[in-house]
Amino acid sequence: MATFFEQVSEMGIKQATIAKADEAVERLTAGMNISDIRAALRGDAPRRPNPRLRPHADSFWFHIRPSFYHTEVTHIYPTFRLGWLSTFMFVWETITGILLMVFYTPSPLLAYGNMWNILSNVPLGQLMRNMHRLGAEVMVLVVALHMLRTFLTGSYKKPRQFTWVTGMLLITLTALLSFSGYLLPWDQLAYWALTVFLSGAEAAPAPPVVNETILLILQGAPALGAAGLLRWYLFHVLLLPLILGIFFFVHYYKVVLYGISLPPSREQIGDDTAKRVPKAERTYFTPDILTNELMWTALIILLLTVGSLWFWDAPLEHHADPVVTPLHVVAPWYLAWSQGWLKLADKTLVVGFIPLLLVSFIVMPYVEVGKSRRYADRRVGFTVAFLFIAFMLVSNWMGTPEFRVQSSPELQVSQEVMPQEGNNIMKGVPYEYLTPGVYLPGQEIEGNPWLTNALAAFEEGMSRYSCTLNGNPNLPIEWEPCEVTQTGAGAKYANHFTNDAMPDPYAELRITQRQSDMVKLTLFYLVEDPENPGEFLIDSGDSIYSYRNETSGYTEECRFLNKDC
Amino acid sequence: MQVKVAIGTIAFMLTMIVLGYAALREPARLDESTGAFVGRSIETGGQIFDANCATCHGVNGQAEECYDAGSGEAIPCKGLPLNSYFLVCGEPSQRIVDLGWEGTKFQYIERTVSSGRSGTLMPAWLDQFGGPLRPDQIKNVTLFILNWGDEEFCAQEPSSFAWPDTVDEFMAMDDVQAGDPEAGADVYLNLGCNACHGMPDQEGSNAVGPWLGDIAETGATRVEGQSAMEYVYHSILDPNAFIAPDCPTGPCTDPSLMPGDFAFRMSTNPQDMADILSYLMGE
Ligand code: HEC
Ligand code: HEC
Ligand code: HEM
Repeated sequence: MATFFEQVSEMGIKQATIAKADEAVERLTAGMNISDIRAALRGDAPRRPNPRLRPHADSFWFHIRPSFYHTEVTHIYPTFRLGWLSTFMFVWETITGILLMVFYTPSPLLAYGNMWNILSNVPLGQLMRNMHRLGAEVMVLVVALHMLRTFLTGSYKKPRQFTWVTGMLLITLTALLSFSGYLLPWDQLAYWALTVFLSGAEAAPAPPVVNETILLILQGAPALGAAGLLRWYLFHVLLLPLILGIFFFVHYYKVVLYGISLPPSREQIGDDTAKRVPKAERTYFTPDILTNELMWTALIILLLTVGSLWFWDAPLEHHADPVVTPLHVVAPWYLAWSQGWLKLADKTLVVGFIPLLLVSFIVMPYVEVGKSRRYADRRVGFTVAFLFIAFMLVSNWMGTPEFRVQSSPELQVSQEVMPQEGNNIMKGVPYEYLTPGVYLPGQEIEGNPWLTNALAAFEEGMSRYSCTLNGNPNLPIEWEPCEVTQTGAGAKYANHFTNDAMPDPYAELRITQRQSDMVKLTLFYLVEDPENPGEFLIDSGDSIYSYRNETSGYTEECRFLNKDC
Repeated sequence: MQVKVAIGTIAFMLTMIVLGYAALREPARLDESTGAFVGRSIETGGQIFDANCATCHGVNGQAEECYDAGSGEAIPCKGLPLNSYFLVCGEPSQRIVDLGWEGTKFQYIERTVSSGRSGTLMPAWLDQFGGPLRPDQIKNVTLFILNWGDEEFCAQEPSSFAWPDTVDEFMAMDDVQAGDPEAGADVYLNLGCNACHGMPDQEGSNAVGPWLGDIAETGATRVEGQSAMEYVYHSILDPNAFIAPDCPTGPCTDPSLMPGDFAFRMSTNPQDMADILSYLMGE
């Protein structure tokens, strides 16, 4: 080939430069020169031989992708772009995750401070953190929906059983990835969620030696601490993404190998024509699929950015504290079902059941071998699936603190109005409106809608956990009458909601100035024992309180969708 | 396809605009977050103080109003005032200057709380030194203590009673009565002298400062021309005026470890001085 200098002397500097650029572009795209790209963008038909196919043979990234799709599978239905979206979310998480890694040290001494450094010192740090955390939850959701769609369209059937199997591994890894990231901020939320999870591992139906060894591997020491954090960090940034990456490629190889399954109605029952694509039904990767994917990429990035900026905010609670158990330990929503089961059944049973469930999902395509993918032929399968989904949704609800009350009524009310962790109606009251004084539940404060709101929530909580014996002389609120049962340990008072209610309680919210820019919010409860006047069933004194500093900025956080306060 | 290119391009441009907006408001947001971090740390620090420190340093850190952690009964405060102009106001604050401490008041408090003060009732709090608190908790409670030093509180040095130059002039003042040793014993406990000097009726009970049981005699030997009473009077008002020779852990250090704010703390009731003098003089 002629050197650049020879070309210059041959056709002049301008032409030579253009020719050189053309050559460079062709090398970069592994086959398409500038005019080919322009033609593709214009939507012209390709020249012969088709240069748009060459990258699929010669370039690494393009060779992973098929050079054309069956037009039937390029519409929103049947894939809903969910598999593609799962892939996108994985890449998204990798990029935002690497950025966060720069500012994070996996040590109990530093991790929590690092999170605050990201929020208060790193430009766009909060946006980055929100993007990563929102992305994690979206990814779990998207992967689950993708699984649902491949089930509904019967795409797990022969020959795609193994694709489904690798998919099951992928969803398990996705959940584990999301959950292992949960621990890293080293706040109360993280610490206790993982502690509960690990106590599950300890209760697995296996000999104690096995369980203890597993626990030791998972937390690196008898108690969750520095070693455990380091391990979960390594799971999160190294081991799990690596395995997920590997299985993603296996998964995707199978997808390309068998082709994406056509909508069930478009082929004969028992046929699999995805790979036999007539010329007229081909949609080429370049330019159509590529353009489409780029458009979706731009749209999803926009959505995630706007979402992380204005609508959704990653939580950060108090520093992890092994000696203070929060009243309610909450698992992330995608694992709340397991918490629900734990409330109902024996721990060992639950921990044994989960792997069993996983295995039955994995072998499902080899057992459910009905030939037809058509919806009308799969009524039994659909019924089972929807029952299962309903079961999971109910389990998830049971996992939330609303279900099954465990602590004493005054703590329960306090938990609703002013929990130590998480958002609450009290945090929605701006500092300026926390005027020192004594307030009753349900009291209306003129010119102070926020405090009035909080006191209304206080009244609501109180009425759920209170009942009356003699018309409630202590507070100007009407309560339902108590059902009294005598037990060995004294009388029990119940209402329709709880069988541990407070009979004719008195309660107030006290706001006092603690420091010049900090108030103390105390919830005070006094319940006299109806059987022994002068004695108190509950006298919470000064024990239930929290502080509010002027600059704490909870109210600013409350505008986000996922923080109801 | 053209539509898709257009949608993609518009979405991309919108993202850039949104990011641009985010970048513009970022400095303000960073400040807000810093405030939130400090505010929340102080809140947590307050709870740590209530649970661990108030029994000795008082509910409001003024070494007043101390309650027994178990029974809730009022007890004499054993600690020094922390909610004190001399500790929390100014950088460096007076207390630090008096002690010749090199560093900031934050570091002084953090260090003192972490490792305690050996030989005194002030325990070490950091887990590494056998205490119950983590480093972040020590930071929080330190921020809480310093938060007492707000602008208003620090605006002017607390006015102090105009202590006369000599003890005779002081005792001759109109509203000062002859000292009552029993009241003096209470003052001695309430001001926490016992934390360093032990009890005068128990030789060797002193941990930091000299034993004061024989100060009625030794006091007269310290400074030429000063009677024991005169000497004690000045020792309390200005510990650095003369450094006693022997402390339980060796020679007393200069500057003195004894807080310099008793002149101020006794200002609310100067009679305390007369009482404590008569107590120490063994009258
Ligand atoms: C058992 C009683 C006791 C408790 C509890 C206690 N302290 Fe102290 N503290 C003392 C005493 C006594 C001193 C004076 C030490 C000395 O003689 O130098 C002191 C001194 C201090 C000082 C140095 C003050 C100065 O001006 O030099 C600080 C700061 C302090 N304490 C903070 C705390 C904090 C914070 C806590 C709670 C985590 C706490 N203390 C709990 C007894 C106590
Ligand atoms: C933080 C510990 C501490 C506290 C609290 C303290 N002192 Fe002292 N005091 C010392 C030390 C150290 C010395 C020795 C250095 C010096 O002379 O200043 C000393 C010296 C003295 C001396 C001189 C003793 C001598 O032998 O020359 C007197 C008198 C005295 N203190 C009285 C008091 C009284 C009264 C109180 C309570 C109002 C008190 N101190 C509180 C630490 C303390
Ligand atoms: C990280 C998670 C996952 C990624 C990145 C991923 C990616 C993909 C992609 C890109 C496709 C191409 C077709 C489409 O877009 O729908 C696909 C197809 C498929 N996936 Fe997944 N997937 C994931 C998880 C799962 C799960 C959890 C399952 C089910 C258990 C599953 C089962 C399948 C099946 C059966 C197909 C073939 C669909 C067909 O041929 O119509 N995948 N996957």
